Amino acid sequence: MSKTPDPNSTGASGSKSNREEATIKVPSKDPKKKDDKKDEDLSEEDLALKQQLELYVEKVQDADAGLQKVALESMRQEIRTATSSMTSVPKPLKFLRPHYGTLKGNYEKMPDSDVKKLLADILSVLALTMSAEGERESLKYRLLGSQGDIGSWGHEYVRNLAGEISQEYGKRQSEEAPIDDLMELVQQIVAFHMKHNAEPEAVDLLMEVEDLDLLVEHVDSTNYKRTCSYLTSSAKYLPGPDDMLVLDIAYTIYMKFEEYPSALVTALYLDNTQYVKQVFTSCDDLLRKKQFCYILARHGQTFELDTEMCAEDEERERLQEIINNTKLSEGYLTLARDIEVMEAKTPEDIYKPHLLDGRASAGASVDSARQNLASTFVNAFVNAGFGQDKLMTVPSEASSGAASTSWLFKNKEHGKASAAASLGMILLWDVDSGLAQLDKYFHSTDTHVIAGALLGVGIVNCGIKNECDPALALLAEYIDKEDPSIRIGAIMGLGLAYAGSQNEQIRDKLTPILGDSKASLDVLAFTAISLGLVYVGSCNEEIAQAIIFALMERIESELGEPFARLLPLGLGLLYLGKQESVEATAEVSKTFNEKIRKHCDMTLLSCAYAGTGNVLKVQHFLGQCAQHFEKGETFQGPSVLGIAMVAMAEELGLEMAIRSLEHLLQYGEQNIRRAVPLALALLCISNPKVNVMDTLSRLSHDSDSEVAMAAIVSLGLIGAGTNNARIAGMLRNLSSYYYKEANLLFCVRIAQGLVHLGKGLLTLSPYHSEHFLLSPTALAGLVTLLYACLDMKAIVLGKYHYILYFLTLAMQPRMLLTVDENLKPLSVPVRVGQAVDVVGQAGRPKTITGFQTHSTPVLLAAGDRAELATEKYTPLSPILEGFVILKENPDYRDDQ
Amino acid sequence: MVDHVTTIYQCTLPFHEYRINSRGHLPFSTSKLSHPNSKQNQKPLPSPHPTNAEAPITMVTVSVKWQKEVYPAVEIDISQPPYVFKCQLYDLTGVPPERQKIMVKGGLLKDDADWSKVGVKEGQRLMMMGTADEIVKAPEKGPIFVEDMPEEEQVVNVGHSAGLFNLGNTCYMNSTVQCLHSVPELKSALTEYNQLGKSNDLDHSSHLLTVATRDLFNDLDKNVKPVAPMQFWMVLRKKYPQFGQQSNGAFMQQDAEECWTQLLYTLSQSLKLPSSSEGPDVVKALFGIEFDNRIHCAESGEESTETETVYSLKCHISQEVNHLHEGLKRGLKSELEKASPSLGRSAVYVKDSRINGLPRYLTIQFVRFFWKRESNQKAKILRKVDYPLSLDVYDLCSDNLRKKLEGPRQVLRDAEGKKAGLKTSVKTSGSTAGDSKMTEAEESSSGSGEASKSTAQEGLLPEEEHQLTGIYDLVAVLTHKGRSADSGHYVAWVKQENGKWVQFDDDNPILQREEDITKLSGGGDWHMAYICMYKARVVPM
Repeated sequence: MSKTPDPNSTGASGSKSNREEATIKVPSKDPKKKDDKKDEDLSEEDLALKQQLELYVEKVQDADAGLQKVALESMRQEIRTATSSMTSVPKPLKFLRPHYGTLKGNYEKMPDSDVKKLLADILSVLALTMSAEGERESLKYRLLGSQGDIGSWGHEYVRNLAGEISQEYGKRQSEEAPIDDLMELVQQIVAFHMKHNAEPEAVDLLMEVEDLDLLVEHVDSTNYKRTCSYLTSSAKYLPGPDDMLVLDIAYTIYMKFEEYPSALVTALYLDNTQYVKQVFTSCDDLLRKKQFCYILARHGQTFELDTEMCAEDEERERLQEIINNTKLSEGYLTLARDIEVMEAKTPEDIYKPHLLDGRASAGASVDSARQNLASTFVNAFVNAGFGQDKLMTVPSEASSGAASTSWLFKNKEHGKASAAASLGMILLWDVDSGLAQLDKYFHSTDTHVIAGALLGVGIVNCGIKNECDPALALLAEYIDKEDPSIRIGAIMGLGLAYAGSQNEQIRDKLTPILGDSKASLDVLAFTAISLGLVYVGSCNEEIAQAIIFALMERIESELGEPFARLLPLGLGLLYLGKQESVEATAEVSKTFNEKIRKHCDMTLLSCAYAGTGNVLKVQHFLGQCAQHFEKGETFQGPSVLGIAMVAMAEELGLEMAIRSLEHLLQYGEQNIRRAVPLALALLCISNPKVNVMDTLSRLSHDSDSEVAMAAIVSLGLIGAGTNNARIAGMLRNLSSYYYKEANLLFCVRIAQGLVHLGKGLLTLSPYHSEHFLLSPTALAGLVTLLYACLDMKAIVLGKYHYILYFLTLAMQPRMLLTVDENLKPLSVPVRVGQAVDVVGQAGRPKTITGFQTHSTPVLLAAGDRAELATEKYTPLSPILEGFVILKENPDYRDDQ
Repeated sequence: MVDHVTTIYQCTLPFHEYRINSRGHLPFSTSKLSHPNSKQNQKPLPSPHPTNAEAPITMVTVSVKWQKEVYPAVEIDISQPPYVFKCQLYDLTGVPPERQKIMVKGGLLKDDADWSKVGVKEGQRLMMMGTADEIVKAPEKGPIFVEDMPEEEQVVNVGHSAGLFNLGNTCYMNSTVQCLHSVPELKSALTEYNQLGKSNDLDHSSHLLTVATRDLFNDLDKNVKPVAPMQFWMVLRKKYPQFGQQSNGAFMQQDAEECWTQLLYTLSQSLKLPSSSEGPDVVKALFGIEFDNRIHCAESGEESTETETVYSLKCHISQEVNHLHEGLKRGLKSELEKASPSLGRSAVYVKDSRINGLPRYLTIQFVRFFWKRESNQKAKILRKVDYPLSLDVYDLCSDNLRKKLEGPRQVLRDAEGKKAGLKTSVKTSGSTAGDSKMTEAEESSSGSGEASKSTAQEGLLPEEEHQLTGIYDLVAVLTHKGRSADSGHYVAWVKQENGKWVQFDDDNPILQREEDITKLSGGGDWHMAYICMYKARVVPM
C-alpha cells in the first residue's frame, strides 16, 4: 500500500498519490500525459462515486446534525460495500483520501455526539491509508469511535489496528500508562482473528501485548491445531522465559482439547515431569497411554508410573515395560526382517576393496593391529543390534567360541577391550542374549577382555531399563578394582546403561572416585563423564561440587592433559540445555587454574545452551573464536563445538551456523580449523547435506592431518546410518588415498562403519518427533565423542578408542513401525515424503511432498514425514515415527 | 509335564554339600532335567527334613529369568544360604553355581548372604546371568602384528620401497635414484662391490659415490619412511661439481638425464674392476647397447663401418614424430659433415646405425630439451610422443642380431598363443620346439664371433638359458613436469616386483594404475616422460 508523504495536507499531495495509483493501474500510459487527464481516466461509474463521496464530505461539514448523520452513514455504507482486491485500495477510500484532512478538521470542531463517534469510525478507517507512520491515528480514532463490530470494516483494517496496538502497547508500557482500553480492543481483535483462520495474527498480537492466556478462551476444536503448531514453532525463535510461556499455553490448549500425545510432546520439550504425569492422569484410555509410553521411550526419559497414572498393577507393569524400551530390539529386528537385511556383513563388504583397482592394500599377509581394531569397530557399527555378525558371534552349532575367540585375540592389548565390547554393540538392546553371550568374557584372565565385557554390558543395556538392574549389579563390584582399564570399563558401562536415569546408587558409587587423589586422570575423566550422563540436565549440586573439587585438587601439570579437558565436560553435561541454571557453577569455574579456566567456561556455556538456538550465545562463541593466540589455546575447540550445539536447534540458525563455520575455516587458527569439521558433523548429524559433504570432502585432504582426520570422521557422522552412496564412494577413495597413513586410514574405516551404521537402519540424530524434541542423552553421547575427537591422537587413536561407543547413546532406529491394539506389528500402507513446513498456512495444506507409498515398517530419512495412506486405521499419535499404535476406524467402509 | 513335583536332590558339588529343596513348576519335561553334569549326583532320597511344615515362613516363591527363559515358580528356602538356591538353579539351567550371577537389589547375590537382608518378596522376579559356555582362553600363540615388527619387515607389507626427501631441488637426483634402484641386478652387483677392494686406478670420489649408492639402495629397501639421501648427494656433488651449482644461495635444478648418465658412468667404472666381481663390465652388460654404424658418403661413395656402445637410445622429437618408435628410427639415421679424405674437403656423410647387441635394460631418452640459439637458453619440446608398455625393437636391429632373435621370439609367440587359449596340438608345439632348437643351433654356430659379448651376459645371468627376444616391457619412467628445462619437477614412476606401479614423488610414494603410466606421453602440462627404462622379456631356452 502506497503511503503519502503527508497525509494531512489535502489538495496537491492527495492528487499526487492518486496519480501514483493510476500509474500502477495503467502502467503503459505516460504519467505526464495522465496528469492532465486524471479525471477523464475514470469510468463514468467511478466518476459518479467520486462525486457522490465529495457530496457526502460537504454534507458532513454542514451544520445540521441530521444531515451529517445521514451523510456519514451513507459514507460508511459506501466504504463497507466496496469490494477491494488485494492489490489496490478500495475506491471509496481512494476517493476520500483528499478529504481526510478536511474531515479531521471537522471532527475537532464537532460537539460530542453519536455523529462525532460515527465520524471517528470513518476517520479510523481512512487513517488506514493516510496516517503517517508512528502516528497511530487509526487506533486513536478507533478508541474515540463507537466501538462497534470490529470485523465490519474488513480484515485489512483489523490487521492494521493490531499493528498499531502493539506499538501503542510498547509506548504505554514504557510510560506506565493504563492499557485497559487497549486490552478490550485486543479481545475483539483476537476473537475476530481466531474466527477467521488468522491464528498466527492473533498469537502475534497476544505475544506483543504479553497476554497469551487470552488465547485459551478463543480456541475451538477447528483452530486449536493450527494455533498450537504456530505457538510451538515460534517458541524456537523467542528469547528467555517467553518460549516456555508460549509452550505452556500450547500445552494447556492441547490438554483442553484432549490432544494428549501432542500435549505430552510439549511437556517433554518443557522437561516438565508434572505435566507428563498430568497427561497420564487425564487420559483414561489404556491404548492411548501405551502410545504415551512409546513416546517417552523414544525420548529416553526415565519415568516411573504410579498407581495414580494407571490403577491396575498388571496393566501398569505392561506400560512400564514399554517405557523401559524392552521391546525395542524386537521392533528393530522386525524392521530388519521386513527390509531383508538380516544377513550379517563383514568389514570387507563395507570396504569394497574390489572397487578400488590397483590400489587395494597389498597382500595382507600380516595382520595389522590398527586395521583389525578398525574392522572390529566397523563390524560392531554395521551389525549393531542385529544379534549376529561374522566376527564375534558364531552360530551356536559351531564349536563354541572358536571364531569369536580368534577374532578377539586378533586385537592387541587395549584393542581387545573394544573387541569384547563390540559384542555388546552387536547385541544392542537385547539384554537377555547380550548378557548371556558376554558372560564368558567375565572369566577371562586378560584384564582388557574383562574391561571390554564390562563395557559391553553397559552398551547392551543402553537405553533399556530393567527392574532387576543387571548392569548395576554386574558392574558395581568392578568400579573399585585396581586395574585402571577394568575400572574404566565398569564406569563407562554404568554411564551408558544408566544415562539420564539419575540413579542415586550410581551417584553414591561413583562420586567417591572423584575425591580419590590416587585415581589416575583417565579414570577420573570417565567417572565425570559417566556421572554427567547419568545426571544429564539435572543440575545436580552434589555431583557438580565433586567434579569441581576434583578439578581444583589436580596439580597444574595434569590440567594440560587431554583427559583433564573431559572433566569440565562431565560438569557441563549436568547442565545440558538448562540455560541460566549454569551460572553459579560457571562463576565457580572462574577460580580454576588458568590452564583450564577458559576451557571450562566455554564447555559449561555450550552445554547449558545446547539446543536452544540462542543467537546471543552463538555470537559470544564466534567472538571467542575471533581471537588469535600465540601459543596453543584449547578453549577455542569447545567454543566452535558450542556454536553447533547451540545452533542445531532449528533450521535457519543451522544454516547460518554452517556459513559462519565456513568463515572460521578461512580465518581461524589451526585449533579452530580442527574443530570446524566436528561442529559441521553435529549440525548435520545423520543428515548428509550436499554443501556440508563437499566442505568436509575438501577438508579430508587438508594438509593438517588433524583437520583431515576430523573431517573424515565427520563425513562418517553426517552420513551415519544413511548408506549414502556418495559419502561411501568418497570414503572408499580416501581409503586408497591414505592407504599407508595408518591413523588416517583408521579414521576412514571408522567413518565407513558409521555410514553403514546398523546397515542403514539407524540414525544418530538426537532430534526426533519431527525434529521437535531433543533427546538429552543422545546429545550428551554425541558431544562426548566430539570432545574426544578434538584431540584425536591422544584419545581415539591412542588407547581410548572405546570412547567411540558413546555413540550408542544416540543410536536409534529411524523407522516407523505400526502396531495393532495388541502391540503386534501391523502392516499398513503409508506415504513417505519430504516434510513441508505448514506452520501458519491456512486451510489443509499438504504436509509432505514427493512421496512414495510403502507398507510399514518403513525407514524414514532425515526430514522425512509419513502419513497413513489408508482410512482404515487411525493412528494414536499425530507424529508417525517409531512405534505407533493404530486403532481401527469405526467409520471406515471398504469400497470394494 | 508334571506339576508340583517335590523332589529332593542331593547335589555333590566341588565345594559344598547341601540338601536342596527344589519345588515348583518345571517348564520342561523331566528328561531335560537330567542334566549330564548333575545326573550322577541325582539321588532321590526320602525327605529327612519336612521343611514346609516346620518353619512357617521360610519358603518364598520367586520367578527366575535366565536368558530368554523364565522359570515361573522357584521356591527359596530363606533359612538356607543362597548357595542352596544357586544349586537349585544349577539343576534348572545347568549353569554351575560359581558362574551364576543373580541380580538382586543392590548388586549380585553372594553365596553366603543373608536372605533376610537381601529382602526377596513373594512373586519377585529375579534375573540370573551366566552360561555354561567354555571360558575364552587366549590362543597360545598370539598373532603377530605389523606394528610389532621391525621396520625392515614392514616393507614387505607396504609393497614398495621408501621415498626420498627432497634436499632442495634434488628431485632430478631422487627420481634417477628411484629408477635405477628398480634394477635388481644393479643392486646385487653393488652389494658385491667390496669397498676394501678399491683399486688404485679408480679415483677416490668414484669409489665414494659407488659406496654411497650402495648404502642408499640399502636404506631404501630397509625403510618404510622416506630416506634423506644426504650422504649420496654430498658425494655426488663432490664427484660432479656441476650439480653443486647455486643460484641465490640455493642449489639449482639440474638435468636428470645428466645425473643418470654420470651416475651410470661412474658405476660402470667402479663395477667393472676385477675386484668387484668376476670381472665383466656389469653396467655395460645391463645397459649397454651396441651399434653397428655404417658411415656413407653419397658424394664420394666412401663407406666405413664402426661399432660403438651407448647407454641409452635417443628418441629425437620433430614435427613428424608421434610415436616412440618413429623417434627411435629417426635417431638411427643421421647426417654429419666431416672431412672427406678422397674429396679433400668436408662432405656430407650419412650415418646409418643398427643395433647389434641388446641389453637387459633398455634406456630410452626423449630428447625434449634443446639449446635454443636465438634466445640462448634451454627449451623444452612439449610434443606428445606415445610410448608403449611393451616395445619391440626388432626392426632396429642388424640382420645379424635379428637372426639370433628369431628363435626366442618364436618360443615367446608360442607361449603367448598358449596363454591366449589357442590350443596348439602337441604335434605342432613339438615341431616348433624342434625348429627353435635348430635355429638356436644355427645361431650358436654362426654367432661364435659374439662370444665375448655372450659370455659377458652369461656371466651376469646365472641361468644362461634365458634368451633375449627383442621385446621389452616398461619398468620405469622418469618424467618432467613444467614448461622449461630449468624449472619444473622430476618424478619417477617405477613398476614394483608385485606388478604395481608406484609414483615416487620425492618422499611420497603413491600407488598408480598401469593405464595412467602411458598417459605421461606429453602434450600438456602434466608430467611427461623424459627417460623410459624397459626390461627385456626373456624366454627360457
